[in-house]
Amino acid sequence: MTMGWAWLILTLATYPWLIGADLASDVFASSSLTIFVSGACLIAPCRRLRRWQSVLFAACIGFLFEARRPVPDGIVALALVAAAIFLSSNRPLLRNTPGMLRAAVVVNILACLCWYLGAAFIAPVSAAEPASQLILQLLVAGLAGVIVLLPIALTQNAVMDRLGVPPAPETP
Amino acid sequence: MDQNRQGARASYVALAIFVALWVLMPAAIRRLNREAFAEFQAPALHLLGKSRDMATFWEKKSRSTEEMAAAGRDLARINAALEIKLNAMDDVRRENIRLREITRYVVPAEYMSVVARVATRDSSSWWQRIVIRKGRNDGIRPGAPVVFGNNVVGRVTAVHLTTSEVDLVTSPGFRCTAYLEGDDQNRIALVNGVASNSLGTAKARVSVIPHDYTPPAGQPARVFTTGMGGVFPSRLLLGYLDGGTYSTQVGNFKESLLIPSRDLYNLQEVSVLVPLHPNPGEALMQGDQFQ
Repeated sequence: MTMGWAWLILTLATYPWLIGADLASDVFASSSLTIFVSGACLIAPCRRLRRWQSVLFAACIGFLFEARRPVPDGIVALALVAAAIFLSSNRPLLRNTPGMLRAAVVVNILACLCWYLGAAFIAPVSAAEPASQLILQLLVAGLAGVIVLLPIALTQNAVMDRLGVPPAPETP
Repeated sequence: MDQNRQGARASYVALAIFVALWVLMPAAIRRLNREAFAEFQAPALHLLGKSRDMATFWEKKSRSTEEMAAAGRDLARINAALEIKLNAMDDVRRENIRLREITRYVVPAEYMSVVARVATRDSSSWWQRIVIRKGRNDGIRPGAPVVFGNNVVGRVTAVHLTTSEVDLVTSPGFRCTAYLEGDDQNRIALVNGVASNSLGTAKARVSVIPHDYTPPAGQPARVFTTGMGGVFPSRLLLGYLDGGTYSTQVGNFKESLLIPSRDLYNLQEVSVLVPLHPNPGEALMQGDQFQ
C-alpha cells in the first residue's frame, strides 16, 4: 500500500524544495532569471523507485513548474517523464555521486532548454539577444542542479527509507 | 537485462502515444490539469506571503520607541500635506463634474478597487510576473488593470480561487496605448513589453512615437495611459521614456524604451481595478488566460 503511493508522498516531500527554488527566483526576479531545479529532483527517485512510479513523480514535478508560468502545456512534464524513463532504465549511470551529479546537470539543463524554447515559441515578441540569454539561463540551471542535488537527494532518500523503498543496488 | 530493455522500449512507446493524445486532447482538459496544479500550490504561496508579512511585522516591532515616535511625527506631517492636496482635488473634482455635465461627456467605466498583497515574483526572458494573494473569490477577473497609487503595475492574466497572476508592464505579453508628456496634440503611442536581457533591468518599448515629437527638456518624458480600449483608466502613469527616441527601420515613427514608474520587483501591495461592468475585452482574455 505504502509502496504504491511512494511517488505521491515523495512529491509532497520534494515540494518544499520547489518552493525554495521559487523563493530564489523571487530574489533574482529583477535579473530576469528563473532558478530551475525540477530536473535535479528526479535523480534520487529514479535510482530507487519503480519505473512507473518515477514517471508519475516526474510528471507531477513538471506540471507543478508549468502551472503558474506561460509555457506550453505539458512541455516540462513530458520532458521530465522522458528523462525519468531513460534514467530508471539505465540505473548504472546513477551508481555513484559523480554520476548522479552529471545526470542532475544534464537533466536540469535539458528540461530548462525545453521550457525556454517552449516559452519563446508562444511569446508574442522576439528577444533581442536570444542566444546569450539562453546560455545564461542554462548555466544557471546547470549550477542549480549541482548545488541542490545533494540536499534534495538526502531528503528524498530519508523519505524513501521511511516508506520502505528498497535501496538502490550497488551493482545494478 | 533484456526485460529491462523491453520495459524501457514499452515505456517510450507509451510516452509517444501519450504525447499524441495530449496534443489532440481538448484544451479544456489541459486547462483543468493546469488549474488543479496551480490550486495545489496556492496554500503554499499564501503561507510564503504571510510569513514574509510576519517577518516584517516582527522587524518593525523590534524598533525602539524613539524611532516609532519619529515615524509617527513624519506621518502626521505627510498627512497634513495630503489633506491640503485632498481639498484642492475636491475643487478640481467639482469643476470636472460641472464640465462633464456641460459637454455631456460619457463617464468612463467605473472600477472596484481590490487591494492585494504580493506573494511571489517570477521572471525570465519570456515573462515578468507577480502572484497576488487575491483571486476569483475576491471578485478579480482576468484582464483587470493592476496599479500602485497612480502607477500602472500590469494586468491580471490568470485568476485562480485565491491567487492571481499579474503580467507586469515590462512583460512581453503586455500591450496598451499611451500619451506622451509634451505632445500637445495627444497623439497615440504604443507600449509593449519586451523579452528582457538576462541580468538586465526589464523595460518596455514605446513605439509609434510621432516623428516630430520632442521630449520636454531637462526631465524624462512621462508616459500615460489613454483610457482607450476600456482596460486602463486614462492618465495613469506607465513610466518614463529612457533617454532619447530613435528612428525605427520604417523611418516614419520613432521608438524608445520605457522605464517603469515603480520598481516593480519591490512592490509589497498593489490594487486591482476590477471593472464594475465586464467589458468586451474580458471575453477575449477568458480564452487565453493561461497563455
